Amino acid sequence: MTTALDILLNGLALGSVYALVALGFVIIFKASGVMNFAQGSLLLLGGYLTAVLHEELGFLPALLLAVAATALVAGLVDRVLLRGMDPRHHHILTIMTIGVDILLLTELARRIGGDLLTLGDPWGNDVLTLAGVTVPTSRVASITVSVLVIGTVFAAFRHTDWGLSLRAASEDQEAAALMGVRLGRVRTLAWALAGALAALAALFLTAFPAPGLERTTGQIALKAFPAAILGGMASPPGALLGSLLIGVTEALAAGYQSELSALGRGLGDVAPYLVMIVVLLVRPHGLLGTKEAVRV
Amino acid sequence: MKRTGSRCAAVALTALALLGTACGTKGGDDGGGQGADGVATGPGVTDDTITLGALTDLTGPYATLGESIVNAQQLWADQINADGGICGRDIRIEVEDHGYDVQKAVAAYAQLSPDVLAMPQVIGSPVVDALVDSIEADGVLTFPQAWSASLLGHDAVQVLGTTYDLDMMRAVDFLVREQGLAEGDRIGHVYFEGEYGANALEGSTHAARAAGLTVVEQKIKATDTDLTAQVTALRGEDVRAVLISAGPAQTASLVGVAAAAGFEVPVVTSAPGFAPQLLKTPAAPALTAQLHIVTAIPSVSSDLPAVRKLVADYTRTYPDALVDSGVLSGYNAAVLMGESLKAACDAGDLTREGLVTAHRSRDQVDVGLGSPQDFSDAAQPSSTASYLIRPDRDAVGGTTGVEDARTPPGAEEFSASRGE
Repeated sequence: MTTALDILLNGLALGSVYALVALGFVIIFKASGVMNFAQGSLLLLGGYLTAVLHEELGFLPALLLAVAATALVAGLVDRVLLRGMDPRHHHILTIMTIGVDILLLTELARRIGGDLLTLGDPWGNDVLTLAGVTVPTSRVASITVSVLVIGTVFAAFRHTDWGLSLRAASEDQEAAALMGVRLGRVRTLAWALAGALAALAALFLTAFPAPGLERTTGQIALKAFPAAILGGMASPPGALLGSLLIGVTEALAAGYQSELSALGRGLGDVAPYLVMIVVLLVRPHGLLGTKEAVRV
Repeated sequence: MKRTGSRCAAVALTALALLGTACGTKGGDDGGGQGADGVATGPGVTDDTITLGALTDLTGPYATLGESIVNAQQLWADQINADGGICGRDIRIEVEDHGYDVQKAVAAYAQLSPDVLAMPQVIGSPVVDALVDSIEADGVLTFPQAWSASLLGHDAVQVLGTTYDLDMMRAVDFLVREQGLAEGDRIGHVYFEGEYGANALEGSTHAARAAGLTVVEQKIKATDTDLTAQVTALRGEDVRAVLISAGPAQTASLVGVAAAAGFEVPVVTSAPGFAPQLLKTPAAPALTAQLHIVTAIPSVSSDLPAVRKLVADYTRTYPDALVDSGVLSGYNAAVLMGESLKAACDAGDLTREGLVTAHRSRDQVDVGLGSPQDFSDAAQPSSTASYLIRPDRDAVGGTTGVEDARTPPGAEEFSASRGE
């Protein structure tokens, strides 16, 4: 029984971190219709900056600075690279983000090399025991911070001008522009926010149960992709739900690997995509996605 | 760091002029000739130079290890050259970086191979797997930094020391002998998908069966760095010990999570599963308490005189470099290559075929850097004995010796029956 609880908690913690990344995908997609393939390398950038800064500045200032810097870089990617492009050509912009990803990743991988960097988080390898279940403190922190941050972002969608503009832009860019929504600014802010979320996710992805930041850490962002898609690409609550589903599925598949061995070893890696495919077969627009009204 | 480029072209041209033969074709270019001293020569050998090649990783995941091996082998070449070289010729090592990318490695090999006699370094199991047939066809004597049993059976490819399966047999032997595991117990084995993990699993399964133990398998990928789910599962299966055949990051996560959960079972990995950098992570105390490492070469902090001299020479030449197991394994490979070169020189044949023949004729090679090596059977690893070491923050290279080289029970029979 404790094992099942252990697995469930671990899955939820993983899911909450995926949610930070998936939310970044969704915000950018809502604002500009672009799938941001550079999310993984932005995550790596945030983690790398925290890792190199924390010894001089201390953990919290380093983290804040890294989050701000990653947001700035993400915003710049939008301003400098994507601004001049025709925003209606989503596929071209999407492919440009792959280019950005390769550039950022190559440079960061060169700097990180074979090292394993610690981000200097205050939780170390402390654990809490709750009702017979042992949970790393960093996991509890990860769930708490994710809930707070995601809650804030949701509130921003609902109650700020930017949130309103973003929602308007995702409904109909042209109409929103005619209504005076400054699409460029909405989009740049969306990019910056996604960058900040990615940098924060890097902290929790590399904290204790994981050994630290590696050059491959950014690849974990790929797992948030199915989460964003199965939630319905343009739906933030869907991304949250999708992330938790993916996190728990992955933990369950790995935790019960022996029982599931008839399906082959290493099911945990395939499981997120299996879930995505099954969900999309049943609900082609994702769990909470909206059907597009198509005029015939 | 030497890179080939225009200099390679220059070397190729010189070689062409000197030998008067075609150069640059891939494949068994025999470039047959004879030096002024009557020694038969081929690709990579002139009257005053022997050129060796190294395909390494200086920009990828094993960059730290690659740099150590390159430095150590260059140190060996400098020492040999200061003593007058081998066969009256200076040793030169051409280094190509592949960044752990198989495509780049294949291209680098095509560029490098026509101009070298042998390769004392090729890093990376996937790289070696992709190149092994070309290497064998070209007859370039190669010491890969990869230890999968699938590399056995090639005349030109020499796996130095024990293969991954033998290492895991050694690990099981240690657990039964020293950690109180008994018949009926379960052990976990967490392993990477691919050749490395599969070969390691063969060894653990074989040894476990012989000892009456059951192996609980957990397969993972190189991108999995949080092993909480795996630890939870193994704990649920009530395993008494865990083997891990993965990278250093995975070992750190496994041991860290296990310790935090109060799951204090012994954990054993092999050389690729540990790096001294891990002792700077939060998992360091747990690693020191729970982990052992099986390795074909002794710990860098070993008091073997040859190892101590190497560490002293290395730190003098590269004062800022990290001393890790790559220093010893790289230097060991270079020294063994040197011994085979000397044997080929004595036989008057420094062609590729001559070198492979000379190498395969040697069955008792002891250069003082570890257990004696037997190169006479290409189908067998050069040794069945491996060391057991453990992490130690205060020791050079982050490890200290626990048990001397030892052949696990049944290893020779297992190795002989392999591939049947």
